[in-house]
Amino acid sequence: MLELLGITKTFALGAERVVALEDVTLALGEGEVATVIGSNGAGKTTLLNVIAGTCRPDRGRVRLAGRDITRWPVHRRAPLIGRVYQDPLRGTAAQMTVLENLALASRKGGRGLGPLVGRRKRQILGAAVAQLGMGLEKRLNERVAHLSGGERQALTVLMATLTRPKLLLLDEHTAALDPANAERVLKITEDLVREYRITTLMVTHRMDQALAVGERLVMMHKGRVILDLGATEKGRLRVEDLVALFRRAGVSDDALLLVQNGACA
Amino acid sequence: MLFLHAAEQGLIYGLMALGVYLSFRVLAFPDLSVDGTFPLGAAVAGMLVLRGFSPYLALLGALGAGLVAGAFTGVLATRLRIPGLLAGVLTMIMLYSLNLRIMGRPNLSLLGRPSALLGLARALAAPRGYEILVAAGLFAAFVFVLLLLFLHTELGGTLRAVGQNPEMVRALGTNPENLVVLGVALSNGFVALSGALASQYSGFADVGMGIGTIVAGLASVMVGEILLRPRGIFSHLVAVLLGSVVYRLAISLALRYGAALGFTASDLRLLTALVVLGALAAPALRTALRGGEA
Repeated sequence: MLELLGITKTFALGAERVVALEDVTLALGEGEVATVIGSNGAGKTTLLNVIAGTCRPDRGRVRLAGRDITRWPVHRRAPLIGRVYQDPLRGTAAQMTVLENLALASRKGGRGLGPLVGRRKRQILGAAVAQLGMGLEKRLNERVAHLSGGERQALTVLMATLTRPKLLLLDEHTAALDPANAERVLKITEDLVREYRITTLMVTHRMDQALAVGERLVMMHKGRVILDLGATEKGRLRVEDLVALFRRAGVSDDALLLVQNGACA
Repeated sequence: MLFLHAAEQGLIYGLMALGVYLSFRVLAFPDLSVDGTFPLGAAVAGMLVLRGFSPYLALLGALGAGLVAGAFTGVLATRLRIPGLLAGVLTMIMLYSLNLRIMGRPNLSLLGRPSALLGLARALAAPRGYEILVAAGLFAAFVFVLLLLFLHTELGGTLRAVGQNPEMVRALGTNPENLVVLGVALSNGFVALSGALASQYSGFADVGMGIGTIVAGLASVMVGEILLRPRGIFSHLVAVLLGSVVYRLAISLALRYGAALGFTASDLRLLTALVVLGALAAPALRTALRGGEA
C-alpha cells in the first residue's frame, strides 16, 4: 500500500546541515497498522510530512496505492490520505458547526454548488458521528469551538477516516489530551481503522501505546529506521525491552523523555 | 428625509459592506483593493451609460470589472506570494490610474442619464417617496440572497473554512489559494456593483470617491456586529446591512449637527477611522482595563 524508497531529507539550520531523514525505506501492506517511535529529532514528523506532501524529499520515492506520489502537491494526494495532528485545533474549522465540518470532510477534492449540508447528509453524518459515543449527534449544529479538546480530536479522527482514505497518518494525536480522553480517542481510532481496514502510520512518544497499538513497530533514531518489527516480535516486546533498545542505539534518558517537535512545518 | 436618505445610502453602500465582510471576516483577508474597485464600478458603469448602453448592462459591466480586479489581487497574494495588504494596495493604486483612463477625466456627470436605480424605482409600485429605498432594497436583497445561498454550498462552505483553517482545506483536497482568488474576486465584484449604484444614485462618478471605502466597510461590519452580536451566516449578513444603514445615519447626523460642534465634512474620514479603531482596539482595551483592576 505505502512504499518509501530511500527517502533522504536535509534541512539547513543556519550554516549547519541537519539530516532529518537518511535513506529511509519502509513498506506497509494494505490495512497494516504501524506505530513509529523515536527520540526528539528522530525524523518522525518529517517522515509524515514527506508522505503527506508538505515536505519534498531530496532523494527517494513515495508510492501509495500503486502510484508514485513523490511530486504530487498536498491537495492532490489528500483524497488518498487522512491526517490527524497533535493539536486538536488543526483539524477542524472552529467557527463552523460539527455538521458542516463533517460535511466538508465527507467529500474530498471537487467542490460544487450543491448544498453543503442537506437532509440526507445530516442523516448519514449524524449516524457516523453517533458511533463516537460522545453524544455529538445531538450537537450537530453547535460550533466546533464549543467542543472540548477530546471531543474535537475524536471528531477530527472521524473526519480523517470518513472518506476511507488509503492511508491514515497520526502525529501524536492523543498527546495533547488528558489521560481519559487520550484513551477514548485512541480506542475510537483503533475501532475506525480496524473497521475500514485503513493502512495507518501512528507516531507516538508513548512506548506503551507504541506496543499496544497495531502489528508493526518502527523505531527511528537520527533520521534512520533502526528497528522494524513485525507482529510476532512486537508481541513479545515490553516497555523495558524498548527502553533497552533505545539505550543501545545511544539515546540518552533525557532524550527519551522529550516530546519532539518536527521541522518542516 | 434624513433617515430615508441614510437608509437608501445604507443599502446601496451595504453591497460594498457585504463585499468587505466576505474578504475581511469570511476569508480573513484584509483587502484594500476595494478603495479602487468602488470607483472602478462607477467609472465602468458611467462610461457604458454615456456610450448609450442600458444602465442594467452597465451594472453587469461594473460587476465584471470588479471580479477581474479582485481576482488580480487574489493572484498577487497567492500565486505571487505578495502579502495580502500590499497586494490590495498595489491593485488600489493601479486602479486609480486605470479609473482615470476609463473615464478620460477625473469625474463624470451622470445627471439626467438613464439609471438602473431610478428606472427600477419608477417601475415599482412603491409608496410615493419610497421608490428609491425599495429599489435599493431590491439590489441589496439580491446580493444578500446570492451570498447567503453561496456560503451554504459546498464551495462556499469550503471558502469559509479557508478563512479559519487553510491547512485543513488543503488536507481535504482543495487548494485554498484558488478559493482566496474566488472570494476576493466576488468581494470586489460586489464592491464595484455598489460603486456603480452609488454613482447612479448621486448622479456622478469621481476618481476620488473610493478613498476610505475599506474603512467605511469595516465600520459597517463592526457596527452591525456590535448591534446584533450575530452567530450564523444569516444573522451576520443582516448585521452587515444593518451596520451599513446605521453607519450612514451616523454620518448624516454628524454632517447635520456636527457643524455646531465645529466638525466639517472633511473631518468625516477621521471620525470613521476612529470608530473602526475603537472597535478593533476594544478587546485589547477591555483586557487592559480588567488587568488594571485586578
